[in-house]
Amino acid sequence: MKKNKKWIQYAILILFVVIAGVTLFSSVLSNEDIPEVGKIAPDFTLGGLDGQVYRLSDFAGQPVIVNFWGTFCEPCVREMPAIEDIYKKYQSKDVVVLGVNLNGEPEVTVRSFVNQVGVTFPILLDNRVVSEQYDVKYYPTTFFIDSKGKIIEKKIGEMNESYLIQTVNKLLAEKE
Amino acid sequence: MSLEQVSNTALIVAFLLYIISAFLFVIAITGKKWSDRDPKEHTLRWSKLAFSVTIVGFVSQIIYFITRWIYSGHIPNANMFEFMTLLSMMIIVGFIIIYLIYRSAGIGVFALPVAFIVQAYAMVFPWEAEPLIPALQDNWLKIHVTTAALGEAFFAVGFATGLMYLIRTVNFTGTSKKDRRATRGIEFTIFAILVVVGFIGSVFLFNALDYQAEFSKEVIVPAEESELEIEQVNTEEVKYTLPPIVKPYKSEITSMDSYFGIQKPLMEAPFWMKGVNAGRKLNTVVWALLTGTLLYCLLRLILRKPIGAKIQPILSDLDPEDLDEISYRSIAIGFPIFTLGALIFAMIWAHIAWERFWGWDPKEVWALIVWLFYSVYLHLRLSRGWQGSKSSWLSVIGFLIVMFTLVGVNLVIAGLHSYAGV
Amino acid sequence: MIQNTKCECGHQNPVNTVLCESCGKPLIEDQSMEPLEMRYDGVVRRSQRGTKSVIDVVWSFFSSVKVAIYLIFLTLCGASLGTIYPQENTFINIDPATYYPETYGTMGEIYYTLGLSHTYDSWWFKLLLIMIGTSLVICSLDRVLPLYKALSKQKIRKHERFISRQKIVYTGEIKGIQDEKEAEKWVEEFSAILKKKFYRVTTDGSALLAEKNRFSRWGPYINHIGLIIFLLAVLLRIIVPGWYMEQYMDVLDGDTVQVPGTNYYVENEGFTVEYYSEDELAEETIEKGKVIPELFETKAVLYECVENCNDPFMEPILEEVTRHPIQVNKPLKYNGLLIYQMGYEETPLLRSVNATLKGRESGEEYGQFVLEMDNPKSNYEVGEYQLELVSYYPDFKFENGVAGTKSSDPNTPAFIFSITGPGLPDEGEINMYFPIPQHKVIYQEDQVNEAAGSTLVIDVGSMQDVDFSIYTSFLSARKDTILPMIWVGAAISMIGLIMGFYWNHRRIWIRMDGKQLLLGAHSNKNWFGLRKEVALALEKQGIKVEPKSLENEVKKS
Repeated sequence: MKKNKKWIQYAILILFVVIAGVTLFSSVLSNEDIPEVGKIAPDFTLGGLDGQVYRLSDFAGQPVIVNFWGTFCEPCVREMPAIEDIYKKYQSKDVVVLGVNLNGEPEVTVRSFVNQVGVTFPILLDNRVVSEQYDVKYYPTTFFIDSKGKIIEKKIGEMNESYLIQTVNKLLAEKE
Repeated sequence: MSLEQVSNTALIVAFLLYIISAFLFVIAITGKKWSDRDPKEHTLRWSKLAFSVTIVGFVSQIIYFITRWIYSGHIPNANMFEFMTLLSMMIIVGFIIIYLIYRSAGIGVFALPVAFIVQAYAMVFPWEAEPLIPALQDNWLKIHVTTAALGEAFFAVGFATGLMYLIRTVNFTGTSKKDRRATRGIEFTIFAILVVVGFIGSVFLFNALDYQAEFSKEVIVPAEESELEIEQVNTEEVKYTLPPIVKPYKSEITSMDSYFGIQKPLMEAPFWMKGVNAGRKLNTVVWALLTGTLLYCLLRLILRKPIGAKIQPILSDLDPEDLDEISYRSIAIGFPIFTLGALIFAMIWAHIAWERFWGWDPKEVWALIVWLFYSVYLHLRLSRGWQGSKSSWLSVIGFLIVMFTLVGVNLVIAGLHSYAGV
Repeated sequence: MIQNTKCECGHQNPVNTVLCESCGKPLIEDQSMEPLEMRYDGVVRRSQRGTKSVIDVVWSFFSSVKVAIYLIFLTLCGASLGTIYPQENTFINIDPATYYPETYGTMGEIYYTLGLSHTYDSWWFKLLLIMIGTSLVICSLDRVLPLYKALSKQKIRKHERFISRQKIVYTGEIKGIQDEKEAEKWVEEFSAILKKKFYRVTTDGSALLAEKNRFSRWGPYINHIGLIIFLLAVLLRIIVPGWYMEQYMDVLDGDTVQVPGTNYYVENEGFTVEYYSEDELAEETIEKGKVIPELFETKAVLYECVENCNDPFMEPILEEVTRHPIQVNKPLKYNGLLIYQMGYEETPLLRSVNATLKGRESGEEYGQFVLEMDNPKSNYEVGEYQLELVSYYPDFKFENGVAGTKSSDPNTPAFIFSITGPGLPDEGEINMYFPIPQHKVIYQEDQVNEAAGSTLVIDVGSMQDVDFSIYTSFLSARKDTILPMIWVGAAISMIGLIMGFYWNHRRIWIRMDGKQLLLGAHSNKNWFGLRKEVALALEKQGIKVEPKSLENEVKKS
């Protein structure tokens, strides 16, 4: 058998192995886009109610809690004071809390709610872009991101203060 | 007479003529053993007559098609009645082409019954023409449906001749395992055809008697799915045109005519069949099986031997190898047409109407399955030992898959094509 | 095992050759007389040659038609599994892990666990398709080259055993042939007849080879090339980022919405539906109370953002690029972007009101202001009064003494203003306002305001001051860069199918040994047609035969 024919065989077979690899791997890759526990949290940029621009990557090196909420969602409303407490308690330990308001609610509605409840941590306004990026289907959903940007915990549903303390301590332990 | 009446009458005429010409083809073959005649001339004369009757029937069916097109304002292939009629018409086209190539009266003995059973099946559905929803108002749809039907029609002719090959060659009296398995296979195929006939028959019978029964069922819509976010209870109603042997799961009788002295449904659908329509469909299937079995047993009792064995003598003069080749030829002719109509044109249309050329909709998947199956058939044909009975079995199975794609998918799986509803 | 591969005609054949590449003599000696296996003209395929390395084993695995058939069959079965229950991608917003068990019970749970709820995205289904692709390429390469070689160097005078073991055979003595010359003349005459039937005829003395429609042999390979192009296109569509996009948008009448992931914005300038009138519908449909839409259309304007595109605090500056009335089957097309009409929903929603500020007792009008439901401003100036919007509840609810909103859609909009101005307290007068009249009654707007001591009323003068949106138009935006390649693949495949199935390659061999005529014929399909053709040709030469009797009588064992 001629040598060059053998090479053609090799080339074709390798080509198909590569195609198979790329296809199968790409489907694995596309799944990676959806943030899950253990994966790196995708970066986002949003405007805050206070007029500042917030970028997740600005907080690299700090543990971050990202809470997706809406004024129309009762459990979100109920858990707000607990989150506010945690924010105040752990501010000194560099823990960042970001409240991402879902569904493009009117600014006035969000502002009046925030004033009424007395929320002091940054509230970001999202027009369904980041919530889709994070595949948020149920409200509230909270992501706990460690100082290296990895998602440590994803909580769907209402949280109470003891759960929050426990999880934040986990985040801080991770930091050391 | 209105155009609509002309159209419907023309269709019924065509249907009857197909039945007559099928009988004429049978006479063309069996009659040559009658005394007082030259067998060759007899066959020639009678098959000429039978073929002319088929052509007249076909012209009548074309009249139906054109007049319906005129009065409904769109090409008649939109609902189940229109599509199945189109399919029956295309089977006749396929038959005419294959007959003109091979000039064998035998083809008519099986191909015409396939055509008129499909036609009868079409007649079970509501005849009235419906205006088209926007998605269906596109030229590509018309081209897609018509071409796909033509491709499937050639598969139908391939099925008819494949079945003839089998009945012609199987040794019904044989006792070997192979013979007995072949006999059972043929009897099952005949039984399946009788189930379809039984279904059509029972629908016609009870329609003529104007039978009706109604059921209502409470459906709980969970809070998350309802608009008001509270649990809602909806009442769904379903109308039976066949007497209810099976009623929908957890349903109440609204009204019911009694049948054969039976006042109440005998059974209830199992719990996993949700929705009222599932119950109705199950009832239809039960009726089809029941009447099919009844017909089969009756025929067996009258004939006192396997039905296939009774048909075999009619076919005894046909050359099995010719039948095998005709079956292969019609599938080979149909395959490119099917590819074009059911896959390529379908993709073009889906690209325009459903914004993607392929979406893994059940109907699309089943069209692909049909295509894959026939490509298996065509590849196997190349191998030694796969001509003859094995490939005839494949042509029979292939057509069953075609029919499942056309009918079963709508009956069992709902998808985007469910507008054609059963 | 050493096999002598040199044929008696002197041709050196590769190992495992079935029929001599030159004269066609069967090389594997069996005494049977059954028709020859004529696939690929009996030449050895690459995968069948001698010794085997690992790569040869893989190669011959994929080059086997049997393997290809198994692969197709497995794909067919796998594809059917995916149609048992609806696939995940048919739902826009579900959690499959709970949806399947809840809807279909245990079976649903099994279905989901096995990953069948996304059959066509699963690794095994993709792997099957890739293996089919591999098999298509290797099978074709493995066959088309040897076949091409065999067909392009055919010997005219074939071995007797080769001819006599064809599926169509005729032997007979031709009367009146005395010598080689007359035999050659007979063959010459016969060749003229075949030429009239569009055969290409070559003769070698008293031997003849007639051939037509050889191109149909390439049909399957052209079909396979088309399929490979098609599969490659599908593959590229998945793996090249940005080549395929699929986005959904709900656009209210009059709204402008960004096409997610792009710099484009779509405005719905107006949505219209026309329904069929009753006399166009079937009776049964009317009885059921169904209405069937005849036409629905979104008057769409496409904008491209030119400035401030990703700045969260600045309004993007848009530039119109095109406009088009979108209907089903008639998408908007711009620069590879296609926007389709998917459907619509009747969603009567308030968009804005042109409200009037009045005195409660006097009814005197102080002025008007525009109040938007979507994202209202927080300050308004009306005549001498300043209105500050303190709270806004798009979907108002009042539970356990607390006001709130049920959703962010303006179904029950409620506003709370703090008004300052002449004759009002400095800290402002609180006024609650429901734009929709029914809500004013339900939530007792007037009573609440009067109790709070409000001296002003906010109201809408006439229907002209109200902007309603009746329909939400569902649009979908697509980009499918690879589409032309898909159509090219499909077209090539179709051409191949037509070539392969509607023509067939026919060959007729003749050799005269003295007055003994030996004729063999071969076709890849349609033996019936070839038999008829051969019988007709023979008849013209005075030999009457029934087409059927040409069939090689030796049946398969």
